[in-house]
Amino acid sequence: MILAFALAALATTAVIAPGLARRLGRNTGYPIAAVFLIVGGLIASQASGVLAGGTVAVDWAWMPSIGVDFRLHLDGVSLLFASLVLGVGSLILAYCPRYLEDNERHGRFYALLTLFATSMLGLVFARDLLLLVVFWEMTTISSFLLIGGTGRKSSLPATRAFVVTAAGGLSLLAAVILMSLAAGTTNISVIMDDPSRVIDSPQAPVIAVLVIVAAFTKSAQLPFHFWLPDAMVAITPVSAYLHAATLVKGGIYLLMRFSPLFAESALWTATLMSVGLVTAVYGAAIALKQHDLKSLLAYSTVSQLGFLIALVGVGTPEALAAAALHTFAHALFKATLFMLVGIIDREAGSRDVRELGGLRRVMPVTATLTGLAAMSMAGIPPFIGFVSKEEAFDSLLDAPGADWTGWLAAGTAVAAAGLTFAYGFRIFYGAFAGPTTQRGLYEPRPSFLAPAAIPAGLGLLFGLSVGILSPLINRTVKDTMLTDVDATLSLWHGISTTLVLSMVTILTGLLLFFLREPVDRLLYRHQFPATGAKVFDAAYGGALRLGEWTGAPTRASGIAAHIAWPLGALLVIGVTGVALWPDVAPPALPTTRPEDWAVVGVLAAAILALCLAKSRLTAIVLLGVVGFVVGIWFLIAGAPDLAITQLLVEILTVVVAVLVLRRLPPVFRQVRRSRTLATAAIAVASGLVAGAATFLLTGRRERSPAAGYLMSEAEEDSGGRNVVNTVLVDFRGLDTLGEVTVLAIAGLGLIALLRGTRTPETAGRDDSSLPPSDREGNMVIFQVASRLLLPGIAAVSAYLLLRGHYMPGGGFIAALVAGVAVAVVQLPHGLDRPPRLQAIPLIQSGLALAVLVGALGLLEGSFLRPMRGYLSIGAADLSLSSSLVFDLGIFLVVLGMTVAAIERLSRGVAEASHRPGPERVLELHGGDQR
Amino acid sequence: MTAAIIVGLLVAGGVYLVLQPGLIRVTIGFVMIGHALNSLLVAAGGMGWRAVSFIGTSEPDQAADPLPQAFALTAIVITFGITVYLLGLARSGADDVPEEEPPT
Repeated sequence: MILAFALAALATTAVIAPGLARRLGRNTGYPIAAVFLIVGGLIASQASGVLAGGTVAVDWAWMPSIGVDFRLHLDGVSLLFASLVLGVGSLILAYCPRYLEDNERHGRFYALLTLFATSMLGLVFARDLLLLVVFWEMTTISSFLLIGGTGRKSSLPATRAFVVTAAGGLSLLAAVILMSLAAGTTNISVIMDDPSRVIDSPQAPVIAVLVIVAAFTKSAQLPFHFWLPDAMVAITPVSAYLHAATLVKGGIYLLMRFSPLFAESALWTATLMSVGLVTAVYGAAIALKQHDLKSLLAYSTVSQLGFLIALVGVGTPEALAAAALHTFAHALFKATLFMLVGIIDREAGSRDVRELGGLRRVMPVTATLTGLAAMSMAGIPPFIGFVSKEEAFDSLLDAPGADWTGWLAAGTAVAAAGLTFAYGFRIFYGAFAGPTTQRGLYEPRPSFLAPAAIPAGLGLLFGLSVGILSPLINRTVKDTMLTDVDATLSLWHGISTTLVLSMVTILTGLLLFFLREPVDRLLYRHQFPATGAKVFDAAYGGALRLGEWTGAPTRASGIAAHIAWPLGALLVIGVTGVALWPDVAPPALPTTRPEDWAVVGVLAAAILALCLAKSRLTAIVLLGVVGFVVGIWFLIAGAPDLAITQLLVEILTVVVAVLVLRRLPPVFRQVRRSRTLATAAIAVASGLVAGAATFLLTGRRERSPAAGYLMSEAEEDSGGRNVVNTVLVDFRGLDTLGEVTVLAIAGLGLIALLRGTRTPETAGRDDSSLPPSDREGNMVIFQVASRLLLPGIAAVSAYLLLRGHYMPGGGFIAALVAGVAVAVVQLPHGLDRPPRLQAIPLIQSGLALAVLVGALGLLEGSFLRPMRGYLSIGAADLSLSSSLVFDLGIFLVVLGMTVAAIERLSRGVAEASHRPGPERVLELHGGDQR
Repeated sequence: MTAAIIVGLLVAGGVYLVLQPGLIRVTIGFVMIGHALNSLLVAAGGMGWRAVSFIGTSEPDQAADPLPQAFALTAIVITFGITVYLLGLARSGADDVPEEEPPT
């Protein structure tokens, strides 16, 4: 419970931090530091129990269906890292108020820093694999936001850090998935109780590699190290907290956490030791080259992290103990050094060793503290850094494997430590020794120095009495090795091999320091041909360009460019299919009749003319011709309902298209000849493929059983004799309801699309495309005719609707006839007379009616099942079916859609006649469009 | 055979127009591809049976297959709905987009 409370307390603090910052400004850090201390005290109150071998746990159901719970857990490893998160965290937050500028807004910064602390604490408490991943990603995101918070120049480094560590996060996710599959659970406690289920699974090496990649990206190991020095664009408290003490230790934590699973694996040991030690030497050597103190510390961190990873890789209890102790020691001295560099930067206005010098005279306390931390880093007795380094050398010498591997590892470590010693001295010497270049400087205020002084002093104190850390270290080893150990830490081991190694280290360091000029020449002569950041930038830029290239076709503004892709793909499939020319059965009956050829001939001529048409109006008229020919084709194919529908739709299409054409230039845009030829080629190929496919795939089987059934049973089942109509309203009513809904959407979409649209200016407009000036006069005949026609058309429409079940007709056809009536009435009036029929109520009532009839069918057993009854009027027996009401619903929706089309599209015509610009010209010509 | 030719002709014309610049020709092309597919649906019933599918009017074993006809009927009306919508797009100014590569 305490663990969940700790997380909740930090999260709440993160939420209220912006509000606090508005009130307190930069001093917000103090109350937040107090919260960190209180939470730390709470955790510490559990420490004695944990060190005695117990654990504290929280287990709340989270996603029970997949066995993932919100499990938190405090053991030795968690305690070690939690003490860093909260301890160093409170120091850093107490440091921020004096470091930050007074007159700026810091709410975002404090909120993010506290959020980061929350996620880091969650990471070390997490006892469920999935929860671990969640908190791991949260640290990545908050780190990205903190690095990127310093302005434009930080965006690229923040992106690099994010992409590298987020890639590691994906790797961790993959590892976690494989691990939970192998173990059958995401509960880390259960996995650790029976590690053999993961260790013996075939995926074990893959899991190990994925975990290693995740840890290497987070802990900035070769070749992923480059993001960490880059991240130094963040302000110093962020560098001190995230990029020295905690975030980058996430990788170390991960490796320690999963050590019980992989410590015996040769792959694990070899990878961690070799990469860790190479990184340790590489980072230290590059650190020696740096003039910027912050970059120096960044490479130093890379190097020290390598050292830690090598120790975890050794996998013996002694090595894990050394790793735990050095993690602690490193956090102390590195956070101190970062804070002090921040102080120097603030006071002296630079952190370049070439510009600094002799600060010991003006800033003696700062100089002393820097000396303390640098000596701990260099591994000089009696500092804690000395003890941890001795332990490290000792465990590297005893590394499993042949004798020479131990010596090689220890030798490499000595080289890295010697370099560390040298750059530690350089920091101190560069900033504080030599002639004083800046005279007007003063010691900073004690409140600025105190947060750095505390860990610097602790480094000495813990070195002198390192024994008090033994229980924590022992408990950590117990968690990471699953074995009990009793390592007693002490400052003095007597004369031993490791002491000799320490002396060699110090001598090497001194030598490197005194010979710094030749060393510098050597270092600068050997430049790496490619830096990690450059490789990353190239890969990142390449990925962006690839994305741009892949997405380029979708950004074309022309319609054809979008349509060409799916058309081309279909063509490829079609050509392949036709080229195979399947062996098909001969037609069951002759499929061609002489009258067909007339249709083909007219159609070919009309289509050719349509494709060649230059004028829009000609094209629309020819489209009407094509549609009529297709209607005739349906008629001779034995589908009168289709033919009628087709003819009516064609009439309405032409009417609506002409309404739109009035807004557009009379002729089509010119097209390049090459494009015409290319599209013609594609079109001919498509036509050939479509024709061949139709030839191959139709008419080659016996009559379908469905046709036989419908023709013999439809009347019995539905009472209708027009089988096509019964299919629509009785047998497949749900399909029809869906299709009618599509029409309703098309109508409503059109209304929304043209709501309040002003007619766009069109380039090719001229007076000839405007309506004639005396429209009223021209329209008289049309108006009178429409009044005469209307009752007749309405009657025909009603008749068609009623008889649909028995003869050609039905809701669709009746609605289209009514639509023609609407067009006939509407066209001569334009907006002068508001339409009597409103589209939206028609569509609404139609859909409602159709659904209602469907729901009534539920009484009979299923949705849309028709209900039938007979009505006897006099001698005539009238068969009634609820499907007639359903057909009425279809009628209303289709009519509503048609009304919407005519009303909205004709509105442009009326609007144009009211437009002031061109009309004034007309008025000058004596026209009066009213 | 003639059904195949009709479908082929309509597809060829439709594809040609759909690939032209300007929404009006694209819409016309779309309508023609719609005709082609409706003809294909009807042809799928088998062009050997062409008597109207009305009970009592035709011999049941002579009548055309009513099921694909019903599909085609709704498809014609839906094609009309989409045609109208495309024309609305053309009317709303979407047709004025100049056809060239966007500036990068």
